[in-house]
Amino acid sequence: MAALLSSSLVFSNLSRPSLSPSLPYLSLSTASSSSSSLSSSISLSPLYLSSSSRKKPSLSSFTVKAIASEKKKVAIVNTNSGGHAVIGFYFAKQLLSSGHDVTILTVGDESSDKMKKTPFTRFSEIVDGGGKTVWGDVGAIGTVLEGLTFDVVLDNNGKDLDAVRPVADWAKSAGVGQFLFISSAGIYKQTEEPPHVEGDAVKADAGHVLVEKYLSEAFENWASFRPQYMIGSGNNKDCEEWFFDRIVRGRPVPIPGSGMQLTNISHVRDLSSMLTKAVENPTAASGNIFNCVSDRAVTLDGMAKLCAKAAGLPVEIVHYDPKSIGSDAKKAFPFRNMHFYAEPRAAKDILGWESSTNLPEDLKERFEEYVKIGRDKKTMKFDIDDKILESLKVPVPV
Amino acid sequence: MAGGVATVQHNLKMQPSVSLLPSSQSSFCGSKFTTSIQYKRKVCQPKGALNVTASSAKKILVMGGTRFIGIFLSRLLVEEGHQVTLFTRGKAPITQPLPGEADEAYNAFKSKILHLKGDRKDFDFVKTSLAAEGFDVVYDINGREAVEVEPILDALPNLEQYIYCSSAGVYLKSDLLPHCETDAVDPKSRHKGKLETEALLESKGVNYTSIRPVYIYGPLNYNPVEEWFFHRLKAGRPIPIPNSGLQVTQLGHVKDLATAFIKVLGNPKASKQVFNISGDRYVTFDGLARACAKAGGFPEPEIVHYNPKEFDFGKKKAFPFRDQHFFASVEKAKAELGVVPEYGLVEGLKDSYDLDFGRGTFRKAADFETDDIILGKSLVLS
Repeated sequence: MAALLSSSLVFSNLSRPSLSPSLPYLSLSTASSSSSSLSSSISLSPLYLSSSSRKKPSLSSFTVKAIASEKKKVAIVNTNSGGHAVIGFYFAKQLLSSGHDVTILTVGDESSDKMKKTPFTRFSEIVDGGGKTVWGDVGAIGTVLEGLTFDVVLDNNGKDLDAVRPVADWAKSAGVGQFLFISSAGIYKQTEEPPHVEGDAVKADAGHVLVEKYLSEAFENWASFRPQYMIGSGNNKDCEEWFFDRIVRGRPVPIPGSGMQLTNISHVRDLSSMLTKAVENPTAASGNIFNCVSDRAVTLDGMAKLCAKAAGLPVEIVHYDPKSIGSDAKKAFPFRNMHFYAEPRAAKDILGWESSTNLPEDLKERFEEYVKIGRDKKTMKFDIDDKILESLKVPVPV
Repeated sequence: MAGGVATVQHNLKMQPSVSLLPSSQSSFCGSKFTTSIQYKRKVCQPKGALNVTASSAKKILVMGGTRFIGIFLSRLLVEEGHQVTLFTRGKAPITQPLPGEADEAYNAFKSKILHLKGDRKDFDFVKTSLAAEGFDVVYDINGREAVEVEPILDALPNLEQYIYCSSAGVYLKSDLLPHCETDAVDPKSRHKGKLETEALLESKGVNYTSIRPVYIYGPLNYNPVEEWFFHRLKAGRPIPIPNSGLQVTQLGHVKDLATAFIKVLGNPKASKQVFNISGDRYVTFDGLARACAKAGGFPEPEIVHYNPKEFDFGKKKAFPFRDQHFFASVEKAKAELGVVPEYGLVEGLKDSYDLDFGRGTFRKAADFETDDIILGKSLVLS
């Protein structure tokens, strides 16, 4: 009989009694980040927590963390570029530090130029954490991962069935118990009543939608995660950097439209923690869609201001009509020119997940790294910006 | 009667977390009781057991109660079997039948409701009259300043619960939204009296619950929220909306608010807590104009955007909402109290239209003066 590990007993906002067949259970949490102690954690038998005993997380008494009582073997099939690439990186590291087994298969060749960018340049961190890093094509996934068995597969490799079907089919035939998919909140149909909530109408012909449908039919235990924009060290795609580039050079920040558009910019650790919760609570997660985002929205203007504040510098925001610059509009600005705002209601309700993104603080850290790598000194061209500012007759510092 | 404090159930009809009262008795006629299923699994629906109310009827005082929220709340309280007294100056009729309310229901309500006539600003009178009566619970629906609450607390040392109607207007404007109950508040806001009241309640150690609604709407609304749009739609006029029309706001139906007020009564999970109460979704200004049109069966409206800085409207308000994003998360009430708003926006606006404006009733007559100023100017934002 395993000994009690820690004296702190914690309860949390777990799934409510009426929700899932498995009732909230009491378990002793291990020390937060040590990896190998997982196997000795105890899960007591299901104990009904009467709702009246459940307290607000912020009260000091109890917070239950529903932690894994068993070690999982997880395969992450990761894209080799783009905004979602960083998700696999954080998820791998978090799983490893929680004591799980991780193999991350990056699509393509290890020798590809794409591997010269983050997060791939930091994959040694995964290896150091005890994880396995492999490369290959999803068409040959059975061969690439030959001899390995997995409890969980996360597909973070594509936005349509061409990319995901091979992975799903292989996972199914390999008897994988839980299939998770990184989808996109971009599939929600536009609404005048934000936010996008799980279950809302999606664009029927979107690749991700067809994948979700395929997965729901193929797997008993599947879940889909719909992210938006991310910040975080190791990102493959610029996010906050777009603002920093202009702010440190004293250039105006051109924002299309009113600047009032709401969006969701999360720290990637929020996505990673949500995915980890799903791995550790497979029954609760099963069959669900999760908006994989933080729980606050920010306006485009607000993001510019927060970036400036993080940099300790002033910012001049300039609004323009994107129609006035024609086809350059898409490349001019890295965010959608509309309200694009989802809330993580399912994760909170079903997984007892909590957001930790704190944009003001997180951006400070991001700016420190931005300066540390010397990007503030890099020579850059702002051709499209210049076009926009020219048309608005806004002066630019030389 | 059940034993065990934590699970004592109200021995009158148990209010399930979803539906309102049986329609035969209810004045809330015409309302639908469907919940929209958001997720694959039904969530946020803990069964009625969360509503831990004492088994006996309470002696309840409602400060106000004759204009809008209180009209709906007091009916629910009376139907729950409580003894309800309304404290008002008597300017509005103590009771009035709700549109569509059955005579029998109205008379039943009217025969049970009590009235204490007075001015709550007469603190001595408040103290003596309340002390003389004694009340178990106070619902303070119309309190604005902390100083108004002191005599009530002084008069009722054994008060079980003080339930206060505060406002989401107390939140400090932020670039990060929605407003959550833990967010910073603005000590300089127009609603600082509400903040000071909350602080007073906290400091006095009384068992209080504070509810922060956003914009309230529904039949009998005296604030021209939906009415403002209905007047223009009915007149076939364009709807002038400041700036982009993308500003996001939030409306909460008065009946949902009343239900929430009932949910917190005698509920230990509501003790010394603050809850945002409003609709489950937010809405853009442009979207709200269109939703009002749908609700009233009007054709899609012409919306005209304008820059308010280019105009001088004098003392008049050209638009009934704050020209900014303003919305609050209602997830805390959902998660901790099982309060799930019943009404979707169009549905709720239809309820308001069918029972009020659509019957030819409204509080403020149509006034298109500022509209004409805006529309008269040849330059409008596209």
